[in-house]
Amino acid sequence: MRIRNKTQLAETLETCRPALLDNPNILKALLAIQSARGYVPTNAIPQIAQVLGVTEAQVAGVLSYYSDLRTQPPGRHLIRVCMGESCMANHGARVFRTIQEYIRINARDPTQAERFTVEQMSCAGNCALSPTVMIDADLCGRVTPSDVLSLLEPYR
Amino acid sequence: MKTMRCYLANDTSSRAAGAERLADAWSERPEIQLIRTSSRGAFFLEPMVERETPNGREAWFNVAPNDLPRIVAGVGGTPVAGIPFLQQQTRFTFANFGITEPLALDEYQARGGLKGLAAAGSLSPEAIVEELRISRLRGRGGAAFPVWKKWQVAQQASSEQKYVVANADEGDAGTYCDRMIMEGDPFRLIEGMMICARAIGATRGYIYCRHEYPAAAQAMRFAIQKAREADLLDSDDYPFDLEVVSGAGSYVCGEETALLESLEGRRGVVLAKPPYPAESGLYGKPTIVSNVLTFATIPNILANGGAWHASIGTEGSRGTMAVQLGGRVKQPGLIEIPFGLTLRDILDRFGGGMAAGSRFKAVQIGGPLGSLFPESQLDIPICYDAFAEVGAILGHGGIVVYDHETDMVELARHFMAFTADESCGKCTPCRIGSVRGREILERIQIGQGTAEDLVLLSDLGETMKATSLCALGGRAPYPVLTAIEHFPNEFRSKLSAFSSQQ
Repeated sequence: MRIRNKTQLAETLETCRPALLDNPNILKALLAIQSARGYVPTNAIPQIAQVLGVTEAQVAGVLSYYSDLRTQPPGRHLIRVCMGESCMANHGARVFRTIQEYIRINARDPTQAERFTVEQMSCAGNCALSPTVMIDADLCGRVTPSDVLSLLEPYR
Repeated sequence: MKTMRCYLANDTSSRAAGAERLADAWSERPEIQLIRTSSRGAFFLEPMVERETPNGREAWFNVAPNDLPRIVAGVGGTPVAGIPFLQQQTRFTFANFGITEPLALDEYQARGGLKGLAAAGSLSPEAIVEELRISRLRGRGGAAFPVWKKWQVAQQASSEQKYVVANADEGDAGTYCDRMIMEGDPFRLIEGMMICARAIGATRGYIYCRHEYPAAAQAMRFAIQKAREADLLDSDDYPFDLEVVSGAGSYVCGEETALLESLEGRRGVVLAKPPYPAESGLYGKPTIVSNVLTFATIPNILANGGAWHASIGTEGSRGTMAVQLGGRVKQPGLIEIPFGLTLRDILDRFGGGMAAGSRFKAVQIGGPLGSLFPESQLDIPICYDAFAEVGAILGHGGIVVYDHETDMVELARHFMAFTADESCGKCTPCRIGSVRGREILERIQIGQGTAEDLVLLSDLGETMKATSLCALGGRAPYPVLTAIEHFPNEFRSKLSAFSSQQ
């Protein structure tokens, strides 16, 4: 698995190698790696820096700056709870607490260990249907705490 | 059986409201053919299904899959022209919404699309800028800078390469009109950017789209592909190419210099101006960075003339405003109206009052950096000048209504925590001040704050306002300080009993 990951990383990186006289784009390369692997492993920083022709510090700087870039593998499903003002006004914080509780209760079951990663997001642009919860690519609007159980069940 | 054509929105918010459930449930039904359009923006009615009648379209609101027989029989529909929320609006930029299929270039053209580009084609670059000067259009992203001035600077700069960049990093919470434009009428954005390219002499364009909007980025990519296939983009008389670039979750990248840094692949850190991007922007070349809504407003201006645009709105604010209503109101959604209506008008006539069981407490305009308005200040007209007079901003037009359950101390803490999270770190007052501000508010929250803390908070706010390069640090104190100004008792009642003076 590890070897496969390494070749995969090299292949992805190759597509990001800047052409002669072109400017390297660190963010684009990191987003490409993340979309191929789900995250950007920090031990790949030297290799990324070398292919792009920039310093390791520059790569690490970009990687730590953007909140959507992750250095740890996420769970099978990524839950993002919107914490924008409209969702705040509509008690999105209660939805967030309920989701955390659901996951804490299920954490005792070892098969559930890598099921979910929960994050807050700043605004999903779904303000007219607050509160908003995004699970993977699915956006759900008008979510109440009592919806949480039925909302998360299908994602195993 | 005759197949009936029905219309259902394919917008992200409509899907979140359940449009996809209808499309799945009805996909095999022979009696109906679903056309997926953009959304009208009346999101409290979504999912909304429309069908053609001799008297125009009729709509069914908040539809569930088992409502199909009613719709097919034509029972219980409301004429779209009779929906007060929509009927009271003045739709120019959003005229196609709910009507056309977003990616149908022929429909866009049939409804007046590309006329602005054709008009621009017959004008000299100087004449295009002159038309914009007459229109008195100001940037819709938040800074409200006259668009023509920016364009003139870029036009007069001599460079072998110039760029046009659409700022689609719509980070202000409570706003979603850029997302709607990209998903619902993408060719309007492309047309606006192409007009700008001709005016300043740019041959490359980028749409910097935030990571939270995958559907909008996808729609733009499809639309660009279609425009390319139709020889619209890279035509013989004017070469132009356009690309969608994704952000990665940084609020400050909505600021133009940070956006350009991010577009080049670096940390999205704000730079000191001048030089302005119009002189030296992307890769050091003259670059116009404008908000998506600004570009989308431009085709109509060129098609109808600058004087037409200048005839709408108020003295300092010409044209229409895209208000995005959210929070605890009955009828949240997109409202396009001429400038000049009061805040109270918007809440009463469009908002339809407060959501069930809630009482009004405050309204916030302009996203997380916007001021809070209590009930007594609702008669302020929606225009740049009136807002500037009271030290507030319209921002990108997001209006969020808070109800009586809102804890103002927690809200203030939320704003400071947001700034602490999103500060790029360039200016010390913003980087450190926002963390200290959050800590003071947390202290007040747990009952250990003193009266001096409130003084310190206001002092800190004034420092941040005066010494930050961009609007994030410069505006972040406003929601906090207006919360203290209008709801002082909520803060005072939480102060420590051992506080020296209260």
